[in-house]
Amino acid sequence: MKERRSEAALEQALRERRILVVCGSGGVGKTTTAAALGLRAGLMGRRVLVCTIDPSRRLATSLGLTQLSGRPRPLDIARFRPAEGGAVWAMTLDTKSTFDALIARHAADEEARRRILDNTFYQQVSSALAGSHEYMAMEKLLELSADERFDLVVLDTPPTRHALDFLEAPDRMLSFLDTSILRFFLRPYFVAGRLTLKVATKTGALVFKLVDRYLGLQFLQDLSEFFLAFEGMYEGFKERAARVHELLRRRSSGFVLVASPARPALDEALFFHRRLREKQMPFVSFVVNRVHPDPAEIGGGFPGRASRARVDADLASRLAAIYEDQRSVARLDRRTLARLEVDTREPLILVPELEADVHDLRGLKEVGDAILPPEASGNGRAPRSERPRPARAEP
Amino acid sequence: MVLDDLLRRRLVFLSGKGGVGKSTLGLALCLAARERGKRVLLVEIDTPLEAARVLGRGPSGPEETEVSPGLFTVNLDPRGVMDEYVRHAVPTAMLSRRVIESPLYHRFFAAAPGLPDLMVLGKIMTLEEAHDRWSGKPRYDLVVVDAPATGHGLSLLRVPLAASKAVPVGPIGHNARRILAMLRDAKRTTLALVAIPEEMAVVEAVEFHETAAREVGIHTSAVFLNACHERRLTEDQEAEVLRLAAAGADGPLARGIRLGPALAAGRRQIRRRKLTRFYQARLRKALPFPLVSLPYLFEEEMGAGAIRALAERLEAS
Repeated sequence: MKERRSEAALEQALRERRILVVCGSGGVGKTTTAAALGLRAGLMGRRVLVCTIDPSRRLATSLGLTQLSGRPRPLDIARFRPAEGGAVWAMTLDTKSTFDALIARHAADEEARRRILDNTFYQQVSSALAGSHEYMAMEKLLELSADERFDLVVLDTPPTRHALDFLEAPDRMLSFLDTSILRFFLRPYFVAGRLTLKVATKTGALVFKLVDRYLGLQFLQDLSEFFLAFEGMYEGFKERAARVHELLRRRSSGFVLVASPARPALDEALFFHRRLREKQMPFVSFVVNRVHPDPAEIGGGFPGRASRARVDADLASRLAAIYEDQRSVARLDRRTLARLEVDTREPLILVPELEADVHDLRGLKEVGDAILPPEASGNGRAPRSERPRPARAEP
Repeated sequence: MVLDDLLRRRLVFLSGKGGVGKSTLGLALCLAARERGKRVLLVEIDTPLEAARVLGRGPSGPEETEVSPGLFTVNLDPRGVMDEYVRHAVPTAMLSRRVIESPLYHRFFAAAPGLPDLMVLGKIMTLEEAHDRWSGKPRYDLVVVDAPATGHGLSLLRVPLAASKAVPVGPIGHNARRILAMLRDAKRTTLALVAIPEEMAVVEAVEFHETAAREVGIHTSAVFLNACHERRLTEDQEAEVLRLAAAGADGPLARGIRLGPALAAGRRQIRRRKLTRFYQARLRKALPFPLVSLPYLFEEEMGAGAIRALAERLEAS
């Protein structure tokens, strides 16, 4: 019963851990999975915050709300009769305003704060550009993990092409903000207010000549202002990034890797899994969404009380064709998934492709039930889902 | 008709939520264009992929490669494009190597926000503008860009505008403005959206169009709805399937197939079909340009055959 092992691991994580990071490449149902797991933990009696980093406001859609704000908003889960004390909040991360707030909090004084916020270069960095989403997600995680209102934070990760960007972008961002090298070049330039590059190496001079030639004087001025303004803050940024890494490595944190049976998504999950191991970060389980059920396994009638029936030849041949088509897709999934299990030696939690779209709390509840059968979570009151259990991939 | 409209342009960006089959559609679009005698370049961004593999070739690299007659692919890795730019900008090979290897360059160029995206777009513009040295004809009649999924796709298209503001002078600022002009030229460039009949994918396609039009000023000419489940049973048959399935009917159906499981499969097909119709209606209502529905492919592997089938469907659209 190795499937039970991964379900038990996930169930325990929802019950005990304080941070769950939900990762995966785009289009695998990551946001929905994060929201469904958060809802489930809430029903189990925990106080959960689901946080998504989301330019297109997808969590809002899956929660049936038109918009989520940058502040945690309680969801009405009373109708699902949660265990005592259970509550769920949801929020989206607004990268720009998180960044601004961070600057406001950590800038040395009002003058430094203004200088950064008004800087053209900062305005580009802080909004929508590569790396800043991931970086701010980590900053926010640090803040939320200290928030006493919640005992579990479920973090959905940004929709990157490569899931791993989430772990690596902050380092890239930090490396960019690391003024120790740039300051060296830019300070004399800035102070003099004109192009007087005093650089230690010829290569350095060449790089800056290039920057000046290709980006122009104004840009260099903005840039050096930006770095000068950041000067006092860099150490703080670095220190917090180290704390986030430490936080994520704790046993009270965990990573849930979401994939679909499509090959690129699986490869991505495999790669991520390996990197988590290298970085010694706590893996919880794989959740594979959109697995096509094999009609031969999900069955139809109920043995014992099935009524025998016949259909005419035309319908019979059409139904047979539909049946065979669905089987061939299911077989393909099974082969691909078997490979993932062999490669990772981790059992997978398989979630069948849903028959209806998920865009409200009830739908999320059903997704949660498909990931973890309700009785496994000890919630007890929830009715057993009528949906057949997912077809399992046999090795 | 939709295809005619699309292929009138020289540069087509494809975008949509991750996992909706953008790459597959991009390839099908290229094949359809080639059928019309066009020389086509498929641009992939930072994906060691897919297009060439599907056609049974090794993954595309940083050089344009003719994977089948008239069809070229290239994989633009932002870092590689930037290095190429430096090699172009710095007079001697030795100096450019020193720049590319210096830690300062690594830090600055690799992490400078938006710069990789800008470089990639610049390279795309260069490819679109390239001419054959001897004949003077454009090197490609059509460039199809398999753009990153929605979130990153939007920031990619936003970069030229941001850069032209942040860098008002110099060659980079100048290029940013040229790229922006190219993106905004509806005769030259267009955007095609890809979705599947699911809530999130449809919402993202609509949002993408609205934001791209408002913030970038790029023209969108079509939305492709992949993986549509078409009607496979008559109305009466559907009613019968639902009735029998609800009654838990079973018994032999055909060799090796029982009626019960086949009814479950049938019921599933009916639900998917209805969902497809629902989202088709929604997209038609929300978007002021044509919708092209493409069938769900029950292929064991997404191979060349499947792509060709899609290309034929495009031709018929």
